[in-house]
Amino acid sequence: MITTVKQNIQNALDIIERSPALFIWLAILGAYIFLAAYAYLAALLTSMEILEFSVNLPWETLIATYIFLVAAGSGLCIVNALGSVFGMQRYEMMTKRMAFLSLTTILFGMLCIVLHLGHPERMPIYNAISPNFRSAISWMGLLYTIYMAVVVVEIWLLSRADIVRYAAQAGGWFKKILELLALEKLRGTRIGTLLEDPKLPRILGTLAFVSGASALSTLGSVFAHSESRVLWYGPYYPVYFLVSAIFSGIAFLLVVTIVSYRVQGDEMRPGLKALIFEMSQVLAIVLAAGLLLVTYRMAAGLFDPASRGPVLLLLNGSFSPCFWIFEVGFMSVLPIFVLIRAARKKSLVSVLAGSLMVLIGTYVMRYLFVVAGQIYPNIPEGVPSYWPTNMEAFLVGGVFAAFLLIYTLGERYLSLKEVKPHNS
Amino acid sequence: MNHKGQNINRRRFLKFLAGIPIAGVLGSASIASAADTRYGMLADSIRCIGCKRCMSACKRWNNLRVERDELITDRETHLNANNWKIINLRADTKNRAKRYYVQWSCQHCIKPACVGVCPVTAITKLPHGPVVINEKKCVGCRYCFQACPWKVPQFDFEKRVTRKCHLCYNRIPLNYQKPACVAACPVGALAFDYKPAIIIEAQRRVARLSRPSYIMGLEEAGGTDLITILPARPEALGLIVVPKKVINQNLDKIRITASGLMGASVIAGAMHVYAQKTRHLDKKNDDHDG
Repeated sequence: MITTVKQNIQNALDIIERSPALFIWLAILGAYIFLAAYAYLAALLTSMEILEFSVNLPWETLIATYIFLVAAGSGLCIVNALGSVFGMQRYEMMTKRMAFLSLTTILFGMLCIVLHLGHPERMPIYNAISPNFRSAISWMGLLYTIYMAVVVVEIWLLSRADIVRYAAQAGGWFKKILELLALEKLRGTRIGTLLEDPKLPRILGTLAFVSGASALSTLGSVFAHSESRVLWYGPYYPVYFLVSAIFSGIAFLLVVTIVSYRVQGDEMRPGLKALIFEMSQVLAIVLAAGLLLVTYRMAAGLFDPASRGPVLLLLNGSFSPCFWIFEVGFMSVLPIFVLIRAARKKSLVSVLAGSLMVLIGTYVMRYLFVVAGQIYPNIPEGVPSYWPTNMEAFLVGGVFAAFLLIYTLGERYLSLKEVKPHNS
Repeated sequence: MNHKGQNINRRRFLKFLAGIPIAGVLGSASIASAADTRYGMLADSIRCIGCKRCMSACKRWNNLRVERDELITDRETHLNANNWKIINLRADTKNRAKRYYVQWSCQHCIKPACVGVCPVTAITKLPHGPVVINEKKCVGCRYCFQACPWKVPQFDFEKRVTRKCHLCYNRIPLNYQKPACVAACPVGALAFDYKPAIIIEAQRRVARLSRPSYIMGLEEAGGTDLITILPARPEALGLIVVPKKVINQNLDKIRITASGLMGASVIAGAMHVYAQKTRHLDKKNDDHDG
């Protein structure tokens, strides 16, 4: 027993010696997760009020982070459909990365909700026993559960060969678990043949696309159904959520892919590079569509006396600096130019810069959307500060750190690197 | 004369008989009886003296925490998890010299928006009127607060559930006792009775006033079981103005959700066009990789 422990410690030390940068990275992520755990525990032991910068606003930073992550994940699901549903072979090489990234972002987005709920343990029980089919939250939960289940199967299918390879290398109980995970015993049976059917990935892709896109538009409906929140209410946001999810999803994918290759010091295949430049052009087009929708919403809001107040809060009120700098500048105008230029000059650094701008701008946009939407009708005078508390920052930092940790492990063990499509 | 009277009675009786199956099918009989047997509460801001005995009684009956100074007359109070009913002094914007004590609590809408949005059906509109949150079922998502046009349900940060006035639904079955606040009011500013009687009482009180006044709750949010007599319109008193229609109607929700699904279909169409128009790039991409 002691020998085994010693051997495990020695193995861990060997890994640290081989890649100290990875160790430092994991240590930083671990520290953030620890801080988040401290913040949540403190909230449970004292009062959940410490996770809110104002008791007058029931939804704050955690909900903004939730929308940011879940919408980006759903956007990735829509982009993934280009390869798996619409048959674009060049997108298929990124299917595994997109599916894994989509699953992890949605999972950690859901974690934000779990941390925000007063009694998260009751949600699965009562949502199953007594769901309210008139409630958009109920539908959203159901659709995202279906989506995640489908994506898990999709990732399993794509990683089955890797699991078999690891099982061959491993020994003891770990080998048995891996063999069970790979469903090796089913090979040759009718179910095994069904699992290897080339039509299955397309069926799963279609199911993922339908459930993911519906879940995303239902997420928009959660806000759009609130008739008393004039900024959120109406048929606009379910549509805008779709468009904004697509551009945040593409930006997420571009950032993660480019950074992964840079960190690991690998050379990108020319086909992948060409695809990245094509995606940066697509991203610029979707950003332009998003800007048009924002312009429409603001103009419509100005002409409607009911929603003029919250719209003016964004255009000319306490939220206007963030709105103009981040939502208009960082999320729309600047990256459109940067990305088009990057595609023309074939510069990966510019693609990375443009995509990062989109991500930062989108996060601020989600924050503004959630916070500014709750000012009317009950607190038109606003709240003293809109800056998140330290505890909120710890919690959100911890969620992002946990996401990055899982993604780093996935990148390391699930071989997410782009390979040439099998049918090319 | 007598014969004529009997004739009319017989006609009425026949009409009544014919109406039974129709009423049964349409359910109008049950709706009518529900409106008659539903309780309502009246809050008269013109009669209120701001003693806050109602707040105190509410806290006592519901075991709510009393904060320092909040029960002092004229002290500004806010709705929270331990304040289910508040009394604040409000000035009329048109005549700032005139100030009135206005009470604010759950309005017990006839068609409550909060009931429609709670994902786990923890909120119920009871047949006799009160809108009640089941605290053992509440997940603490606070969606009810977002949906409520009056902005009433409050999150309890210690108990981690949403709480609000439940019209003392747990008192009514006890020998038909009035809600704690109504029983405590020393000047009859609060009244509790069957809903039609409450509406008649509100209209009677307003008719006897020599000053302008407003009855809130007859049409707001499609009608509420709490009727409030205000000395001016809600906007003049700085209160939340609620539209005179049912909030969060199911048909409206379907319309909004459909717009999202239509948007998704348009995006799917655009993706298909993109895939078709750039098919040649797949070959080019292959050539890049050799």
